[in-house]
Amino acid sequence: MASALPLKGVRVINFGWVWAGPVTGQTLGFLGAEVLKIESRARVDMTRNLPPFGEGIPGPDRSLSNHACWAGNGSVSLNLKHPEAKKLALELVAKADIVIENFGPGVMEELGLGYIELHKVKPDIVMLSMPAAGLYGPLRQVRTYGLSVTSTTGLDSLVGYKGGGPVPVENAFTDPFVGIFGAFAVLTALHHRDATGHGQHIDFSQQEAIMHIAGPAHIDYVLNGRVGGPKGNEHPLGGAAPHGVFPCAGDDRWISIAVPSESEWQALCAAMGNPPWAGEPRFATLADRLANIDALHAALAGWSAQFDDRELAATLQSHGVAAAPVLNIADLLHDPHYRARGTFVEVIHPLGFPETIYGAYVKTSRTEPDVQPGPVIGRDNDRVFLELLGLSEQRYRELKEEKVIY
Amino acid sequence: MSRGALAGIRVIDFGQMVSAPFCARLFADYGADVIKVEPPGGDAARAAGPFPGDAPDPEKSGLYFITNTNKRGVTCDVGTEAGRARFLRLVKWADLLIENHTPAQMKAWGLDYATLAEVNPNLVVVSITPFGQTGPYSGWNGYDLNAYHLTGASSRYCGRPGEMPLEHGTFAADYFGAVAAAAWAMAAVYGRRHTHGGQHLDVSSAEAIAATFVGGQNIGCYAQDGKFDKRTGVGMPLGAPATILPCKDGHVWMLALEPGQWNGIREVMGNPEWADLDLFQDMFQRAQNADFLYSMIEEWTMQHGKLEIMEKCQAAGAPVAAVFTVAEVQAHPHLEARDYFVAIEHPALGTVRTLGAPFKLPASPGGPGVPAPLLGQHDAEVERELAKFEQEQGGAR
Repeated sequence: MASALPLKGVRVINFGWVWAGPVTGQTLGFLGAEVLKIESRARVDMTRNLPPFGEGIPGPDRSLSNHACWAGNGSVSLNLKHPEAKKLALELVAKADIVIENFGPGVMEELGLGYIELHKVKPDIVMLSMPAAGLYGPLRQVRTYGLSVTSTTGLDSLVGYKGGGPVPVENAFTDPFVGIFGAFAVLTALHHRDATGHGQHIDFSQQEAIMHIAGPAHIDYVLNGRVGGPKGNEHPLGGAAPHGVFPCAGDDRWISIAVPSESEWQALCAAMGNPPWAGEPRFATLADRLANIDALHAALAGWSAQFDDRELAATLQSHGVAAAPVLNIADLLHDPHYRARGTFVEVIHPLGFPETIYGAYVKTSRTEPDVQPGPVIGRDNDRVFLELLGLSEQRYRELKEEKVIY
Repeated sequence: MSRGALAGIRVIDFGQMVSAPFCARLFADYGADVIKVEPPGGDAARAAGPFPGDAPDPEKSGLYFITNTNKRGVTCDVGTEAGRARFLRLVKWADLLIENHTPAQMKAWGLDYATLAEVNPNLVVVSITPFGQTGPYSGWNGYDLNAYHLTGASSRYCGRPGEMPLEHGTFAADYFGAVAAAAWAMAAVYGRRHTHGGQHLDVSSAEAIAATFVGGQNIGCYAQDGKFDKRTGVGMPLGAPATILPCKDGHVWMLALEPGQWNGIREVMGNPEWADLDLFQDMFQRAQNADFLYSMIEEWTMQHGKLEIMEKCQAAGAPVAAVFTVAEVQAHPHLEARDYFVAIEHPALGTVRTLGAPFKLPASPGGPGVPAPLLGQHDAEVERELAKFEQEQGGAR
């Protein structure tokens, strides 16, 4: 392809671990940056040991979920407990544009790799730190996982069945969210660096970024003092009715239907063959339908349950109604839409096994993103230490034997 | 306003409701010149509320306010010949266009990517829709709800087994798509010298979540082993404690994945005898006996407040967090200490306290400072600047 990727020539040193930090690196990598994740066999990232493994054989270079979430990152192995490794890391930073990390506040300083140290070796470095609650403030040392950081934002208080308590989201929805958000953050700072010559240390508080997802509930509280709670799948601002997930034929099959406008309501009624209940005055206007939404949803569920979810979605769409099947994991891989868009791709891992990962999750018209399998630990060592840092073959060998490069 | 990190980038926000406008807001937060183009009737968010006292007023929508700070607003009916021409003049002036209409609608207006690129080859266009520009569902009508439930996220991760899968009670897919769009659009604008011009970025909110959240964790397993899981209604079925439990004044996220964390919780609970039982000694065994475990912990949590539980467990090394309501988050001293919230004076709404910059750039501070525009507020001002730009262009020719 004639055009280079947009981030060609940008070098990223990624100390990110687990999920969010590696996703930041992945996004920049898909866009053409050279991303070198620093890690070590001395303390293997927990996600590298998550099953299932390629061909069912356990090993830190075979975790399928790790590969999908980290693909796009390269890997350089350095045991940072070793002073020599720290020195090499700083040499790498001196040749980089961006440094990423998602440890708790203070961890990089303990490693001797805080912003002040990085700034000494690369005055215009852009450093992204993305701890749970930011780099300063009374909650700076709060312990959370991606699973629970959302509870400090108000978001968790909104998830659940109407009238009930909060239902936990069973995985860290916001890890990839803040990971991708982090990529936007470093690019704004990179643009600023190009314009002014100044780098900076980005204080990315996951809590503060995630709060925007709950923004509509926050502003309702600010304007009206109302404290939102779970309301199932109803519209966040009461802007549509029906608005929910309705049962279809089969085990755990559902369809989502959203009807904000009068014309879409008429279309839904037509698609249902204008049943008498839909013509009742209590469902006449959006205000009426909102006031009687439980009855409305119950009636619609009674109707939807007789149909196949995909057939019903197609029928409703042919009438102009916003409806789509609720997909499970198996459906994702086989879904004609995701297949047509190449959402998931099979690649052959350097260790020889096939693995299915996701490719570019945004489609670009001019440049083809660079999608590679998940990195083997130390994948880029030879190139980085011999070519980029110019170590002699002998020194390189020694450092490997001493488990500095490890 | 101080020059932000994105000073010099001009963005056209041709969006409605959440996804495209929130994406554009992120550029506005950091100093880009963002011009919001609304139809004469205004962005649909102006009708969405929430309104003070629930009294509808297109200049008092809370959603519109939080999504459109730091932007200038113009009106333009692109369905008319004159409106379309004016829109294309704006396009010629811009670096980035962010929109969230259906592909068919953009085509019907004569504003498909090919046309826009002809007017301004250096323009980056980002389209954020539930399903994307290509594929069998690209012609579908859809909203946040439809996108979110097409990702596998709800079936896999959110809701009780046998009951309906859940969205997050907000526009989760719209926000996710907006952020993905911002990152890729920023790269595309930044890298135009490498790519030799602008390009079209096709963001499907559903795809972004299906790939990075759900697919990343599950698709490799299903593709290789043919196995997949569904929602359980419990925070983490394979380890315990890892779920939300009720307490005296609300709910807490009780979480302990490491032995030290569990011992911390035990200590805070006063080392009850039941916790010494063999069946509670590791995370996996605890998960196998989760019903019993959770009922025992709940007996204790019901006697204590959420903030007390959080504070004591955190001090004991356990990652336990109160489930904050929006009111409790707004009142938290941590966010005050970080000057997160921003008070903005709005001509119709008065002083509004709003969510601040999503991340802090010390060398080039960002965040909202200027209220969302009134409908057509900057029509004349933008027209003057645009005419000046055109004059300069003409002179340069």
